[in-house]
Amino acid sequence: MIAGFMVASTGAEVLHVYSHRHYEVDKQVNALFQEKTGIEVKVVNAEADQLIERLKSEGADSPADVLVTVDAGRMQRAVEQGLLQPVKSEILEIATPGALRDVEGYWYPFTIRARGIVVSKDRVKDGEIKNYADLAKPEWRGRVLARSSTSGYNQSLLASIIAVDGEKAAEEWAKAVAKNLARPPQGGDRDQIKAVAAGLADAAITNSYYLGLLMNSPDVTERIAAQSVRMVFPNQSGLGTHANVSAAGITKHAKNVDAGRKYLEFLVSPEVQKIYSNGSFEHPISMDLSLGEQIGKWGSFKVDETGFGKLGELSAEATRLFDRAGWK
Amino acid sequence: MRRTGADGIWIRVAAWTLAALVLLPVLVVVWRAAGEVGRAWEDVVENRLWGYVWHTMLLLVSVVALALAVGVPTAWLVSVYDFPGRRWMSWMLLLPMAMPGFVAAGAYVDVLEGLIPFYVWVRMNWGIDAFLKIQEIAPWVFAVAVLGTTLFPYVFLSCLAVFSRQAAGALEAARLLGAGGLRVFFTVAAPIARPALVAGGSLVAMEAMNDYGVVSAFGLTPLTPGIFRAWGEGEPVVAMRLAMVLLVMLGLGLVFERWQRGRRRFAGDAAEGLIGRQRLPRWLGLGALGFCLLPLALGFLLPGWRLAEWAWASRDSAEWAAHGRAAWHSFSLAVGAVLLVMASAFLLVAGQRALGSRSMTVAQKIGLAGYGFPSALVAVGVGAVVVWVSRNVPGAGGLALSASVSGLMIAYWVRFLAVGIQPVSAGFEKLPGSFREAARTLGEKPFGALWRVDLPLVWPAMIAGATLCFIDVFKELTLTLVLRPFDFETLATRAYRLTDEGRLAEAALPGLGLVMLSLAGLIPLTRWMRLSEK
Repeated sequence: MIAGFMVASTGAEVLHVYSHRHYEVDKQVNALFQEKTGIEVKVVNAEADQLIERLKSEGADSPADVLVTVDAGRMQRAVEQGLLQPVKSEILEIATPGALRDVEGYWYPFTIRARGIVVSKDRVKDGEIKNYADLAKPEWRGRVLARSSTSGYNQSLLASIIAVDGEKAAEEWAKAVAKNLARPPQGGDRDQIKAVAAGLADAAITNSYYLGLLMNSPDVTERIAAQSVRMVFPNQSGLGTHANVSAAGITKHAKNVDAGRKYLEFLVSPEVQKIYSNGSFEHPISMDLSLGEQIGKWGSFKVDETGFGKLGELSAEATRLFDRAGWK
Repeated sequence: MRRTGADGIWIRVAAWTLAALVLLPVLVVVWRAAGEVGRAWEDVVENRLWGYVWHTMLLLVSVVALALAVGVPTAWLVSVYDFPGRRWMSWMLLLPMAMPGFVAAGAYVDVLEGLIPFYVWVRMNWGIDAFLKIQEIAPWVFAVAVLGTTLFPYVFLSCLAVFSRQAAGALEAARLLGAGGLRVFFTVAAPIARPALVAGGSLVAMEAMNDYGVVSAFGLTPLTPGIFRAWGEGEPVVAMRLAMVLLVMLGLGLVFERWQRGRRRFAGDAAEGLIGRQRLPRWLGLGALGFCLLPLALGFLLPGWRLAEWAWASRDSAEWAAHGRAAWHSFSLAVGAVLLVMASAFLLVAGQRALGSRSMTVAQKIGLAGYGFPSALVAVGVGAVVVWVSRNVPGAGGLALSASVSGLMIAYWVRFLAVGIQPVSAGFEKLPGSFREAARTLGEKPFGALWRVDLPLVWPAMIAGATLCFIDVFKELTLTLVLRPFDFETLATRAYRLTDEGRLAEAALPGLGLVMLSLAGLIPLTRWMRLSEK
């Protein structure tokens, strides 16, 4: 019976990818990779922590060639645990900004995921919310929405605040925002946007691409909901909007290093970057806004690069601060 | 005439090995919980522990209260009164048993979203404090309602037996003495039904304690999701200490029940014949029907209808291959677990009968106790063993798949061994000893007699136990989420994950599959009830 669970392998060249990404657009990208190179991409989906644990327990027996996550901090952790190997590639070095990749080339980013604020068009004036700090003001009591603090996106946002403003200021911010929440955290980013549209609150912390997904949803009520809100990229007069990245690296015990490198280079190619910009509405790693219509409409913004290298080491601290702040 | 030869020793060794295996997760947790953790535990104690404990108590008390408030009166109405639709209600009220809580939750989560206009109205008319308060309460109302209306049949079932049979004589007497309906209920029926209330209520409390799907769908944080969180964050010792807290709470609950019962003695369960049903006047009768229909609608009809609608609407876009794979996984796991459970149950029960020794009785009791262990505790206990094996046994890293499958089977086996033991034991009780004795006199060895005489006779009981166990494993979520192999889904985890990702319509199909299967398991139960009514 156990043998029945295993998938029989085929003869063609195969690249095994352990990925935290499970969107429709990724299937499209992988199919295109096979079409271009003849290399079949076999994906195993799970949460990043599970994938890391799995790589650890499999050791040299691991079938994985490539690890993909949606958090630079998780990639740093994989490097610390000796699960990745460095890649030398001019294409990757040119295509990706130095501040957003690993110094030694253990992993490279391929999409930017900005953590912005969605506000109600009717109830929030232009300029009323400009920074993350604005959400902590007392006049926003009962008007803010955010998902649970167990979400990696929120942990990485708070980690970036710790990196810049220090632990104390970060805790005070988290405490004040937790007090301003219109409801105990529930649901994902999409649910927060929909709740703002429905009038439950006036602003929600969310990744920008979720708004893109709603605007282009097959469900008409979601499209209408998305019409009533607008996207704010915070901290533009300061260090910039907090962003995380989707990133990929080749595993330490990869059987197919060559195909792995080809795959990483393929992910940052303009063709694929365009697919991501228009399919999942993430920002291209080059921040070239001409690649996608929706991201073009949102306009350009500055990405916070200061705390980026510390997201991994500070995420445990962020979790602790959220707990202490009473942000569920 | 008892004789134990070499066979007897082996049976004893086998039975005690099984008993030790049942205790293994608890022992692992107790042992590991004493280990070093450092700051992580301090943080949990400082910021989360009290919330976990308080929410667990609040949840259990509210769910049990709701299940009693629904289960007792419906059982009372159905057994002592006659009203339109009574016969239908007497078996339909069991249907919510076939609706796993996490599946029902999937049919309700979007209602919470749909209430937003009401919340906005509250803010405009009653102010911001009322608005915040009501939002805090709403998820609780939903979670308690879902758990209460899907679990109340446990109470209904245990009370039904008392009201319609055991207490019949006392109730008739009270009536003859002129006591009215409510008075009979409170002064005669309720005290007699107390053991049944406690039995049904404890089952409800245990199911609520082990629930992960419903509470996480509504964002509540009692201990079970807290244990999951610590485990998922790579803090196994924290998870085990939290599991210990849950175990201590369970123990205190048992002590409280004992103390509450005090020195009271309760009548045995001899049936005293059937009670004559009183016909209710028209309007009262319709009221009684309405009272029965309400929990049935909330716990089964409404969520079932929504799921069916969604499943139908998404039939073309459904990922049939993935659903099918998940169903196959559920099926193979359930078959494997059932074989293990039934073989062990037969060994424990038959061995106890053949040898009749005290130690065999104790081994069997331990086997039954596994059902009372919190799922989260079994999950992390077995999980720790699986991790240890895959790290320390050379070459096991690559075999982590089979290590987790075995781990999952053992966890199911620990939790559901009692589900197999009980019917088998009841089956043996009914056998006259003379058959065996005759076989022995004719020269059969003790275990030959067991195999060739007893086994065929208890076969129906074995089948009944296997069916119940199969369904329990098939729809199990909590253990499966923690212990399933990497990249491996069952129908239950799939329904849960799709709901969690907000893909409610897609979750409907696997959810409905679980409901259908559970319904099939209810058929023998309702038939038995119908027989006992005649």
